Amino acid sequence: MSEIRLQVQDVCKTFGITKALNHVSFDINKGEVHALIGENGSGKSTLTNSLTGIYQKDSGKFILDGNEIHPKNQVEANNEGVSIIVQELGTLDGLTVAENIFLGHEERFVKMGIKNTNAMNREANELLKQYGFDRIKASDMVESYNFEDRKLVEIVKATYFDPKIVVIDETTTALSQEGREELYKQMNSIRDKGNTVIFISHDLPEVLRMSDTITVLRDGIYIDTVKSADIDEEGLKKLMVGREVTGHYYRADYGEKISDEVVMSVKNVSVPGQIHDINFDLHKGEILGFGGLSESGMHEIGKACFGASFDREGSVTLADGTEINDIPTAIRHSIAYTSKDRDNESIVLNQSIRENICLPSLDELANKMHLLSDKKLKDFANEHAAAMSTKMQSVEQFVSDLSGGNKQKVVLARWIGKDSDILVLDSPTRGIDIKVKQDIYQLMDRMRKEGKSIIMISEELMELIGMCDRIIIMKDGAISSELMRDPEMDENYLIASMV
Amino acid sequence: MAGKNNIAADSKELALKKQSRMSLIRAALPIVGLVVVFLVFNILTGGGLWASRSLVLNQVYVTMISATGVFFIMTMGGLDFSQGSILGIASIVVCLLSGVNMGLAVVGGIVAGAAIGAINGFFYVNRKIKSFIVTICTMFLFRGFIKYMASNSPVAADMKVYDYDTTALKLGLTLAVLIIGYVAFRYTKFGVYLKAIGAGEKAAKFAGIRTDRMKFLIYVLAGAITGLAAFVNIAKNGSATANVGNQLETQILIALVLGGMPISGGAKVRFENVVVGALLYTVLNNGLTMMGLTTQAMQLIQGVVFLIFVAIFADRESLSVIK
Repeated sequence: MSEIRLQVQDVCKTFGITKALNHVSFDINKGEVHALIGENGSGKSTLTNSLTGIYQKDSGKFILDGNEIHPKNQVEANNEGVSIIVQELGTLDGLTVAENIFLGHEERFVKMGIKNTNAMNREANELLKQYGFDRIKASDMVESYNFEDRKLVEIVKATYFDPKIVVIDETTTALSQEGREELYKQMNSIRDKGNTVIFISHDLPEVLRMSDTITVLRDGIYIDTVKSADIDEEGLKKLMVGREVTGHYYRADYGEKISDEVVMSVKNVSVPGQIHDINFDLHKGEILGFGGLSESGMHEIGKACFGASFDREGSVTLADGTEINDIPTAIRHSIAYTSKDRDNESIVLNQSIRENICLPSLDELANKMHLLSDKKLKDFANEHAAAMSTKMQSVEQFVSDLSGGNKQKVVLARWIGKDSDILVLDSPTRGIDIKVKQDIYQLMDRMRKEGKSIIMISEELMELIGMCDRIIIMKDGAISSELMRDPEMDENYLIASMV
Repeated sequence: MAGKNNIAADSKELALKKQSRMSLIRAALPIVGLVVVFLVFNILTGGGLWASRSLVLNQVYVTMISATGVFFIMTMGGLDFSQGSILGIASIVVCLLSGVNMGLAVVGGIVAGAAIGAINGFFYVNRKIKSFIVTICTMFLFRGFIKYMASNSPVAADMKVYDYDTTALKLGLTLAVLIIGYVAFRYTKFGVYLKAIGAGEKAAKFAGIRTDRMKFLIYVLAGAITGLAAFVNIAKNGSATANVGNQLETQILIALVLGGMPISGGAKVRFENVVVGALLYTVLNNGLTMMGLTTQAMQLIQGVVFLIFVAIFADRESLSVIK
C-alpha cells in the first residue's frame, strides 16, 4: 500500500519579503489521507496552491507517479489528476451548478462549437445523485444555494473524475457538523479507491482521527512526517510550535460566582431575517458565550451589541442608561468589537499597524489643540503591539503583510489600547494557530479578572466550553438554550440544542 | 536549523530593503521630475521660463487651491470631475456679487461651490452612486448653466476686483489653504480618518468613523475650496466666459498624479503631492507652450505623461494570503 504517489522536492516560494516555502521536500503515498499541519504562515496553503497551479513555485519539483508536473492553473492541474477544495468559496456566481462542476472541462459537451446544456445538466444531476446530494439541481444557479451546499458542489467538482490527489484546504472550519461528516465520507472513499487526500486543518483532533500520515511545516520549513497512530495531540503541538506547550490552554477555574452587576442589557432585539426577540444581560467580569451554527444569527448579535446592525429593533442599554444605536456611541462608551470578517471589518488592511491601533483612540491621543504628534502615536502603537507580542518589523509596516494570527493581535491591541470595558469578540480565534490561540485565551482570562465583560461568539464549541461562564446556544435566529459553566459539560449536548 | 533561520532572516532583510528602495524612488520621482523638467525647459528656452516666472506662478494658484480639496476626495478613494463647472459657477457668482460688496462676493463663491459639492455628496452618499458618475453628471449639468449664463457675453465683474489682483493676495490665499490643509491632514484625526476610509471603508466604519457623514462633508469642503479659488480666478481675469474653468478637473487630476498620488487614495498619499504636482503640471505646460508646441501636440504629450505616471503610482499591492 505504501507506493509513492507524489514527491515534493526542494520546493521554494517567496512572497515579497516572506519566504513562504524554504526548500521543502517530502513524499506522499498512494491510498492515504496525508494531513499537512503547521501554524499560520507555515506554508501549508502555499504548498498546495503551488501544487494545484494557483501559485507558481519559484524552484523545486513536484513528481507525480514518476513524472514531473508543473500545472499553470487549476484546469491543467485537473488534467494531471490533481484537484483542490479551497478554504473560502470556490464556486463562481452567475454560473449554474453544472457549469461550475464542469468548469474548464466543457469540451466534452461541445459539438461544432455549441454546448449541449442538456447533456451537461443530465450528467451533473447523475453525479449529484451518486454522491447523495439529490437536493441540489444541476440547472440551478449556484448562488441560490447556501454556503454549505455550495461546498458540496465543490466536493463533486473536485472528485468526480477520480483524481489521483485531492487537496482539502481547511474546508471543515466553514462547514457544519453535517457537512463535515459528508466530507469525511468522501475522504475515506477517495482513500479506499487507492487515491490520495492532502488534508489541511487546524483542528488537531480531527487531523488525528481522519489522517494516516501527518507532515508538519513550520515557518516554511519541513519539520517531520509522522504516522497518526504514533503521535498524540501534545506531540503534534510540540512539533508545530517547536517547544512544549505549557500551562493551561483554556482557563482552569470552575464554580466562580458571576457578579450580579449588569453592564449591558439586551431587550427584544430583532434584526429582520437574522434574529428575533433576543433578550439577555451581560454581567461584570463575565465571559458570555454564544454558540450555534454559522447561520443561527449569533454573528448578528455581536453586531447588534456594537450598534452595527442595519434595521435593528429593540434596545441595547448600558448600566448608566445609555442606549447603543450606532458604532461611534458604542466605542465612546467603551465597547469593543472584533468581527468574524477580520480582513474587511476589523482592520484596515492597506494601512500601517500604527494607524490601525490608534484609529479609535485618536481623541484621547490628541492634545488640547486637537493636534496629533507622530511620536505619541508611534509610542502608543508600539506599546500595545508589544504587549500583544505582535510579530512585526515595525509599526509602520502594513497590516496586509501580517499573518492571520498577528492581524488579530493588532485588532485586539487596538481595543486594549482603548481600554474597553465590554468586548464583543466574534470568532476571535478563527483560522489562528494554537500558540496565538493560547495567548488570546490567557488575555481573555486576564481581562475577565480585571472586571471587564466579554461576549464571545464562536463556532468552536470546545473553546466556548473551555472559556465561558455562561453559554447561550442559538438556533434559527432565536435563543435555544442557556448553560452555566460546568467541567462535565459535553459537546454533544450543545450540538443537540443547535440543530 | 539556526543557520536556515539566519538565511531566511537575511533574505527577508534584503527584500525589505528592496521594497523600501522602491518606495523611496516613488517618493523622490515627482520632486526629481520637477527639478529636471524645470532645468530642461530653462535650457531649451534659454532661460525664458525663469524670466517669465511670475506669469507661470500666476497659473498655479487656482489649480493648487482646488487640488487641495480634490486631494482630500481622492484620499478617501473618490473622484471629482465637476471641479471645472464648480469653478465656473462660483466665478459667475463672484462676478455678479462683486458690484455689491467684495466680501460678499468671496463668501458667495464659497457658498456656491459648497452647494454643488453638497449635491455631489448627496447623490454619492445617500443615493449610493459611484462618485465619478455623479460628478460627470454635475459637470455637464452646471457646464450647461454656465453656457446659458455666459454664452452671449461674458459675465463681467466690477472693476474694483482688479485691486485684488496682487501677488501678495493670491500667494497668501494659496499658502493659507495649503498650510491649513497640511496641518489638518498631517496632524489631526481628519487626515487619519480620510486615509482609513480610502484604505478600507468598512473597517473604518467599524473603528467608529462616521464614514457617510465624512464623505458628504469632504465633497462640500472640496466645493467650498474651489469656490474660494473662483475669487482668485476672477481677480486675475475680471470676467467669466462660457469656458471658465473648462477642463480644470483634468488639470487637477493630472497634477495630483504627477505629484505622486496613487489614484486609488488610501494610506500611501502624502500632502506634498498637491504642491509638487501642481507645480510640475504648470511648469510642464508652460515649458511646452514656450517651445512653440501646438495645443494638439500638448494634449498628446500630456496624455502620454499622465499614463506613465498613473502606471508608476497605481497601488497594486499584491495581497497574497500566506497560510
